[in-house]
Amino acid sequence: MIQQVQNPILEIHDLTVSYDQSPVLWNIDLSLPEGKLVGILGPNGAGKSTLIKAIMGLVDPSGGYVRIFDKELDLVRNRISYVPQRESVDWNFPASVLDVVQMGTYGRLGLFKRPGKKEKQLALDCLEKVGMTAFAKRQISELSGGQQQRVFIARALAQESDLYLMDEPFAGVDMATETAIFQLLQEMTQEGKTILVVHHDIHSAMKYFEWIIMLNLHLVASGPKSEVVNEELLRKTYGGKLNLLTKVSDLIRQQEFNPLKN
Amino acid sequence: MMSFDQNAFLIIFTASLIAISCGLLGVFMMLRKMSMTGDAISHAVLPGIVIGFFISGSQRGVEVIVGAGLLGIIATMVIDFLRKKAKVQLDASIGITFTLLFAIGIILINLLAYKVDLDQECVLYGEIAYLPIDLWITKAGFSMGPRITWLALLNLLLVITFILLLFKELKLTSFDEGFGLVMGIPAGGINLALMSMVSYTTVSSFEAVGAILVVALLVVPPATAFLWTKNIKSLIQLTVLIGIGISIIGYYMAFWLDSSIAGMIVSVAGLVFLVSAVFNSKKYKFKSGTRLEPEALSS
Amino acid sequence: MENFLYFFSFQDASIAFIVLGITILGIGSAYVGTFSFLDNKALLGDAISHAVLPGICLGFMLAGEKNPYYIVGGAIISGSLATFLSSWLKENTKLSEDSIIAVILSTFFGLGIVLLTVIQKSGNPEMAGLNQFIFGNAIGILEEDLWVYGGLAFIIILSLSLLMKEFRLLVFNAEFGKAIGFPMDRVRLVFNILMILSVVIGIQAIGVVLMAALLITPGAAARFWTDRLSSLLILAGVFAVLSGIIGTYISFVLPQMPTGPWVVVSLSTLALISFVFAPKKGILYRFFSRRKYLTKMHRDHVLKSLYKALEEKKSGLSQSELLALYPHHKRETNRSISYLRKRSQLIIKEGFITLTSKGKSEAMRIVRLHRLWESYLNEYMNIAPDHVHDSAEKMEHLLTPELEALLDNRLKYPKLDPHQENIPRDHDEL
Repeated sequence: MIQQVQNPILEIHDLTVSYDQSPVLWNIDLSLPEGKLVGILGPNGAGKSTLIKAIMGLVDPSGGYVRIFDKELDLVRNRISYVPQRESVDWNFPASVLDVVQMGTYGRLGLFKRPGKKEKQLALDCLEKVGMTAFAKRQISELSGGQQQRVFIARALAQESDLYLMDEPFAGVDMATETAIFQLLQEMTQEGKTILVVHHDIHSAMKYFEWIIMLNLHLVASGPKSEVVNEELLRKTYGGKLNLLTKVSDLIRQQEFNPLKN
Repeated sequence: MMSFDQNAFLIIFTASLIAISCGLLGVFMMLRKMSMTGDAISHAVLPGIVIGFFISGSQRGVEVIVGAGLLGIIATMVIDFLRKKAKVQLDASIGITFTLLFAIGIILINLLAYKVDLDQECVLYGEIAYLPIDLWITKAGFSMGPRITWLALLNLLLVITFILLLFKELKLTSFDEGFGLVMGIPAGGINLALMSMVSYTTVSSFEAVGAILVVALLVVPPATAFLWTKNIKSLIQLTVLIGIGISIIGYYMAFWLDSSIAGMIVSVAGLVFLVSAVFNSKKYKFKSGTRLEPEALSS
Repeated sequence: MENFLYFFSFQDASIAFIVLGITILGIGSAYVGTFSFLDNKALLGDAISHAVLPGICLGFMLAGEKNPYYIVGGAIISGSLATFLSSWLKENTKLSEDSIIAVILSTFFGLGIVLLTVIQKSGNPEMAGLNQFIFGNAIGILEEDLWVYGGLAFIIILSLSLLMKEFRLLVFNAEFGKAIGFPMDRVRLVFNILMILSVVIGIQAIGVVLMAALLITPGAAARFWTDRLSSLLILAGVFAVLSGIIGTYISFVLPQMPTGPWVVVSLSTLALISFVFAPKKGILYRFFSRRKYLTKMHRDHVLKSLYKALEEKKSGLSQSELLALYPHHKRETNRSISYLRKRSQLIIKEGFITLTSKGKSEAMRIVRLHRLWESYLNEYMNIAPDHVHDSAEKMEHLLTPELEALLDNRLKYPKLDPHQENIPRDHDEL
């Protein structure tokens, strides 16, 4: 069940991505409507993070392309926000919470310009939205995992974009915070923003997402929640990897070069 | 005799200038976890220095700076090539690249020993002690003071300009390179610019402290300051202070023991580092702070 | 030439001794280095080799001469101190491993320089010998030194061989080793001691600054030729010994030349040769196998076009028709045609090309794989029929007979692909 849409905000066309030659995403082909809260579901190693990274141009695809707002990525970078996985950075970095959130404004500022009062106010506003105002001056090394996660979300909010890509933003976040942030995200989609969230908990996914993408090395489903969530598709997503696909991946890895690259 | 004469002041002043330049760049090298790449670059510029020296016939030539700058960039590119094309892991790529380039430099010094007035020991350990007699004489015959001090001053000005201009970008790409890339910040270019500044600083300082000890100044003051602070601005300030402090103490210690000044500055830096590490180690630390959740500790 | 003969005929007993020494220490260092390379700890060796300098100087100061026992003792002590400090800092501070190694390396070296200048100013006539430790001079090794270094190298090689299983565990899966009851912490301790010893014995010949190369480069170079640990160790040893002898020879012919840099240059040359020329992993091999693959791909496409002509009830294609299908690849197409003709997969009669039965069966196989893969993508991976072609275009050249059988089995021997085209079987008639 893969539902394509007219005038998509994000269009992924036959995207294949490989790490060390072996494909971790096969022929992903999907399109997303505007203003939806979209969940990306799948088991560990299904390629969820890779999909986000490929959309953002952080990994090179070996085939296919991505178009955002019907344009190439480089033309619309300032309309996209990104929340990377918490583990992707060293939290011993000497910076305060406010410093990190202000980083979200750097893209708009451009080279050489320093952030000023306006940027600081924006960062404070974003901190308030995630309930972290009290921590603005705190050093990031002193935060708990859930607090770090909220700082990253605030930083993405400070980017003031139309499309948000979030990689496991709820890992290590307590239930109350998760609910609060989900509510915040829902408000944002009502303002017309589109939010993609890599998520691992099916139960809360059912509760909040409007559109669901299911991945398991290949695209199992993409469509409105009511249409894609059924036993058969869940089994296809979580019921183990396709044996044959694993064998094909092994075969490709054994080549001396990447045969899938054009 | 421990006296505060003009020579002592000049040597300490110059050493501080160099220590500050190196420390400022070193802060970002450390935050990027690229201290060993900095080490590799400072070894790898040697053949560039020797070739530049051979072409220009003196240490003063622009050729020396250009040669070393080029080698620094070549070294980063070779490390990258080994890692990406030949698929050698990063630390081994660094090890292979700098040992090879450094070995070529030593061979060149020995081959050209009779043609260039370049002393193996000077390049390696530097001799800041002779600084007051190496003067910059203008064409009119007017003495402007020690040449190396002027070089160090110019170097520091350029380093400060570089960091002031790109502070926000350097900070962001050191913390979260991926996020910078996503926002369209040219992380690769900024990285290359930083590496070029490190190679230029190495060349500019090698006469005084030697190519190898530049590494110590790049690495030790920032690492020491990092143990004391969690804020980037105070990290930078503290690095500068430590740079000046070790220059002063190092000079007088060397004077007292009649040994290499550059070596002593580094030894003092090492001692300060060790004391800081013991004082701030997890075992002996009783400073207040929020308790971390277990998951935060594991990441 | 005279020098060459004199050196390599080993008529001079001291040269024979030195070459023997270089051989043993080369094997020892390469042996230890390969393990640390596999353990991703390549730069720890670099830190240790810089760190032994103050110990060497202290040993010299205490003995008042270049006494190998004092020097080795001093080197072991400062090397151990550096190793201990680096693991202590890692556990007890928030510094990254990279900073720690850089700090240890540079401060110990700075301290070494201080001691060196102090000794220099003391006017000890034996000082000249000490400078050799910076860049190494194998020719300066005396017979007495050789017994000490040789003995240590022998201990290293012996312990590594005896504890091979434990070190293999340490490098590949320390956690697992711990789980099955091996004292991995103690194994690491022994390994670190061996690493310090190997640095200590190499210093005289290679020098502290470049010693890292003797630890890192042989393993990295050998890694390109083999995946097996035993052959990896042997090859790394051979590389190290070879470059050791070359470096020693150059120091012998040109006495002002230090040995270390030449050993490193020879080693790096061997490594470069490996990176470029080694089979399987070498850059050249990868380049040519890709080229070969691309030519095969194009031949497959020519066969496929001829087969599709058959499907359209044409007996074949004229040469110009076939060339027109690949407008930008004229030369390749011509080459494919003549290759296939030589293999009697097609025949050309008056400019008209038809498949032979051999060619037809090969073409059928490719078309079958293409359409089977399309069916698989469509059925199992939910990919729309108008999106399956590009992937199949790549996979048709890769799929093996086993995978073909597996595909057929999964898809239950389908007759039609998602575009309702026939999936050809060998007995099909056209």
